[in-house]
Amino acid sequence: MKRLVLARRETPTRGGQPLAFLVGLVFALIVGAILLWITGDPVLDVYERMWDRSLGSQNTWSDTFNRAVPLALAGLAVSIAATMGLWNIGAEGQIMFGAIAATFVGRLLPDAPGLVLIVAMLLAAAFGGAIWSFGPAIARSEIGVSEIITTLMLTEVASRLIVYLEQGPWKDPNGFGFPGVTPRPDRAELGTLWERTHIGVLIALAVIIGFAWYLRRSVWGYELRIAGSSEKAAAYAGISVRRKVLGVLLVSGAVAGFAGGIELLTTTSGKLTVQISNGYGFAGIIVAALALMRPSSVAAVALAFGALQVGGQAIQTNPGVSPAVATILQGLVLFGAIGAAVFSTYRLRLVDRQVAES
Amino acid sequence: MILGVTFTEAGVIGLLVATVQFGTLLYLAALGEMISEKAGVLNLGLEGMMATGAAMGFIVGVETGSPWLGLLGGAVAGAIVSLIHAAAAVGLGADQVVSGLALTFLGLGFADFIGDGYTDDERRARFADVEIPGLNDIPWVGEVLFRHSPVTYLAIIIGVATWFVLNRTAVGLGLRAVGETASTADAAGHSVVRLRFAAVATGGALAGASGAYLTTYLVGSWSQNLTAGRGWIAVALVIFGAWRVGRVAIGALLFGLTLALKSRLTLFDIEISGQFVDMLPFLLTIAVLVVISFRARNRPSPAPAAIGIAYRREER
Repeated sequence: MKRLVLARRETPTRGGQPLAFLVGLVFALIVGAILLWITGDPVLDVYERMWDRSLGSQNTWSDTFNRAVPLALAGLAVSIAATMGLWNIGAEGQIMFGAIAATFVGRLLPDAPGLVLIVAMLLAAAFGGAIWSFGPAIARSEIGVSEIITTLMLTEVASRLIVYLEQGPWKDPNGFGFPGVTPRPDRAELGTLWERTHIGVLIALAVIIGFAWYLRRSVWGYELRIAGSSEKAAAYAGISVRRKVLGVLLVSGAVAGFAGGIELLTTTSGKLTVQISNGYGFAGIIVAALALMRPSSVAAVALAFGALQVGGQAIQTNPGVSPAVATILQGLVLFGAIGAAVFSTYRLRLVDRQVAES
Repeated sequence: MILGVTFTEAGVIGLLVATVQFGTLLYLAALGEMISEKAGVLNLGLEGMMATGAAMGFIVGVETGSPWLGLLGGAVAGAIVSLIHAAAAVGLGADQVVSGLALTFLGLGFADFIGDGYTDDERRARFADVEIPGLNDIPWVGEVLFRHSPVTYLAIIIGVATWFVLNRTAVGLGLRAVGETASTADAAGHSVVRLRFAAVATGGALAGASGAYLTTYLVGSWSQNLTAGRGWIAVALVIFGAWRVGRVAIGALLFGLTLALKSRLTLFDIEISGQFVDMLPFLLTIAVLVVISFRARNRPSPAPAAIGIAYRREER
């Protein structure tokens, strides 16, 4: 009697993760094709359209790049918390509150010149994100409340807060009575580099490189990794785990909030809405997971994931095709990659049942 | 007058009835999550499984005309999608948090996919309230407790059965052992993989049933984002309930009250404070978790010790 078991490889396969991501992508597209086939949609047409809209031309590359910005920053936020084994599941809410804070500062400085306004709003966004993660951070560091649940709950709170602001205190007087926040001034818009690609792409890249470098090279980053791998070792080395937990969650929140600021400064409507975060916080968790929580890999994964999302939107505009296929694809990529990644460290072996049981 | 609601007798009774209704929704989902966690598998895909159950429950319900078959269909759908999480997290040892969140995406997407043609469906397959004879005539209590959909009574029965299986049977003992120290349970002859798969699937079925309860009773129709974050509250409920059947039930009623409060306020058409009332269950969840953690600082955690830890026999 034979049976299959997973056996650890002596050395993990090199380049396993990029390969796993690719396998995940292919897996997702295959299952997606089956779903489209079931609903009677032209599979190849839909996929061709996805390609055209995301990577097909310079023009659409812009959309992919722009989309990658919030995904990469959210992914960075998640991976920063993960260096200490913490889960910032609430990047979505921090993005929203970052955008709220930026809007607030925009309203405070009606006469500031464009550049001052942009800098002030972006700083406010980062600060806002940190504020939104402060509660979960202090609850986690001081009394050990699971940050998974608290950060997530605050996401729900943030979205309701935006609806409240739309209906009440920040309602646009020129909005014909409809709920909606007054748009930010036009001069507080990030410019473009080429085509529709905005400067946020460069800013995000700089932030990611900065953090990747700082986490790897600084004492802070080093201590984070020690505290993340063993609290006892950290305590022995005189590192305050509590303060590290607090700090890392605040920084994580700030990065997510910053993403909200960039989004606010680049949306064409210039308006704070519940859609400002558009699921980036949640997708950022997938991005971070696919990047194996390495800040240095986040940008590349975000770009690929951005292409998938932008392409997925093309599906949604295809008449008759269920827009849900795009959401399903995103989940499937991760599952496919999870499955494939296991095989970079493990392999299947057929063994005798007796051996397996003993 | 508090929050703009006038407290009349009918109003209070209505609120309490709605509390039990929302409590049922949360209890089914939280009970499922608890069973899964008891076996050591955290499943953050609750929201996705509930959505899938809601969509499938509606489809099966209106196509067959039977809310019972709808409920069953939702449970089966929930169990099937939960197996994806089981395969990744238990079978392959992937990170439970990541896999669970991916299931949230997948489940929400899948629910929208199958429910696409049913969004504006006028048909209904709705449970009728069942009055328990003899008890439903008791003033106040009868109205609040004994005039509910069969799902509420079913949830109570499932709760008792769960308590019995977990605490009074060999399977339950094995399941709890697997969730505390998998290697010891394995050495004692329990199949870690089989028990964990079963626990996750049971949890998925209950989450799916909870979702189907939305479309076959509480709301009665299918639309996108029907679960609206309630699955996450159910995850928190398990912590609140300290992984115990009875305490989870109390928590379900408490959080059910906050959800009911919102639905009552909508009836009174209060716009602005409505957003804040909407935040209430989420803020309450945080407050409750803080209080629990604060009180439990110096005591051992009631959480199953193996939550989140993948088990590979050759690496113990």
